[in-house]
Amino acid sequence: MTLADSRATRARPRASAARQRRQRVLAAVRPWLFLAPALSLYLVFLVLPMLFTLYMSFFSWDGLSPLSERVFVGLGNYVRAFAEDDVSRRAFVNNLYWTAGAVIIPTVIGLLLAVALNSLTAVNRLLRTIYYAPAVLPLVAVGLIWGWMYNPNFGAVNLFLRWVGLDGLAGGWLSSHTMALPATFFTYVWSHVGFPMILYLAGLQSIPRELYEAARIDGASRWHCFRHITLPGLMETHVIVLSLAVINGFKVFDLIYTMTYGGPGRSTHVLGTWMYFQTFQYYEAGYGAALAWIIAAIVLVVAVPYIRRMSRD
Amino acid sequence: MDSIVASAADRRFALAVKLFLVVLAVIWLMPFVVILLTAIRSQGDMISNGVFSWPQAIAWQNFSNAWDAGNFSVYFRNSLFLILVKVPLGLLIAALAAYPLAKMQFRGSDAVFIFFLVGLAVPVQVTLQPLLVMMKSLGIGNTLWALIPPYLAFGLPFQIFVMRGFFRLLPNELIEAARVDGASETGIFFRIMLPLSLPPLATLAIIDALATWNEFLIALVLISANASRTVPIGLMQFQGQHSSQYTLLMAGVLISIIPVLLIFLFLQRYFIAGLAGSVKG
Repeated sequence: MTLADSRATRARPRASAARQRRQRVLAAVRPWLFLAPALSLYLVFLVLPMLFTLYMSFFSWDGLSPLSERVFVGLGNYVRAFAEDDVSRRAFVNNLYWTAGAVIIPTVIGLLLAVALNSLTAVNRLLRTIYYAPAVLPLVAVGLIWGWMYNPNFGAVNLFLRWVGLDGLAGGWLSSHTMALPATFFTYVWSHVGFPMILYLAGLQSIPRELYEAARIDGASRWHCFRHITLPGLMETHVIVLSLAVINGFKVFDLIYTMTYGGPGRSTHVLGTWMYFQTFQYYEAGYGAALAWIIAAIVLVVAVPYIRRMSRD
Repeated sequence: MDSIVASAADRRFALAVKLFLVVLAVIWLMPFVVILLTAIRSQGDMISNGVFSWPQAIAWQNFSNAWDAGNFSVYFRNSLFLILVKVPLGLLIAALAAYPLAKMQFRGSDAVFIFFLVGLAVPVQVTLQPLLVMMKSLGIGNTLWALIPPYLAFGLPFQIFVMRGFFRLLPNELIEAARVDGASETGIFFRIMLPLSLPPLATLAIIDALATWNEFLIALVLISANASRTVPIGLMQFQGQHSSQYTLLMAGVLISIIPVLLIFLFLQRYFIAGLAGSVKG
């Protein structure tokens, strides 16, 4: 009786210690149980393919025949991209032009629009909707719409130019070696200017009004306020907007594919389209993998400040 | 004297700004006007009178012709199916992952979060060829199911980022009180966290539905069967077959963008606030 009693009292702490241990293990495992679906999807369908592409970029392989038929070429595919292939070099330069344009033009227009439309009147809300609307369209549709706008014979752009007497400017926009890329880029501006506008509108809300009032009392001009209050106050937003512009500038694919298909000739290819052509049209999967990783490496490096900003609390 | 000069300059400045805004708005609206004026008339009318003239007769049949010739019913069904499966599933998985990242203390939580954030910058191109091989060997090559795993994986980083940010704003007392009442962690997640997260979930659902509807490159690579085409792929196919039938083509384009335009016009409040707030963090 007493023995049983004492055994029971001795067993209880042991049982609760075991339970505590189990609880501790569970507490340690629990976060990973919640993370498991996301982590496994992310690892299997994003990280793993990325690594496999990196591996393939050191081989010559057509992407169709069995993997065992790949041939190791070392850095050959990268050398080819930078030193031997004129199209990939042209594509890289086009990416640089595109990115420079994307960093400057939509950003400046978006910033001006945000400052001009900051107050919430009905007209301003309507204008915001108008400027942002193209951003929600599928880029394939945007490409087809502007392909039609630029049509040399019946397109709206040339009709307008002829109507105002600028017949000399009317031409085959997308079939011209000099104009195809700028014309496609204008379409990009049309479809993307809403993003920086929205981000800057959000950024403006965090600048205290009192700063402007105090500056006005001190007799500061509008330009002074913009230069010394608005621009520095939006520093955080600048980081986001500019990083996204560069990241997207190197990822560009849809518009080029639908509007010029890399032409005329191969003059408007960017790395994204050239990679697609190499991999899925010319069956140079190894070379395509190297081109894909060139894009990825550039974008990941540029994204460091962006990711750092996003991960800060 | 000074103030009068200033106010005159002010007025001139304000006028210049208004002019700029209006001219830009006209340019920005013009493509919409042009596709509408192209899509609602006959090809002959458009060619002889030009896009900017008023249509001689409204050719409604362009829309039904485009719908039938372009197989749009198939593409719409496929894209809708993708949205209905992918969006709720993706949001659930993202919210599940965001909960421990926001509310549990464990080693590696920051590293996991940053690991996910890196995905925001990964270009789709760097996964395409392996995905194609994987889907074939999984036996779902060329079907809609092949699109769901990569769409989920590429959607997660942004959604986890937004949901983690939102969960962190919810008071810890809520969770502790539920624990005291004997609720399990799963119970806390499903009965407390998720119901409280409806606003950001709604925003993310809209953004994700649009992104799924619009996605082009992954579908271009993974789908070649006509029966599995999504709207952008189908639209591209339609363009290839009718590239010089401008009125028919623009009718098809209009059909494909009407759903996203309607979603945007009616739900833009959530949509824009969500986009801005998400990056503000």
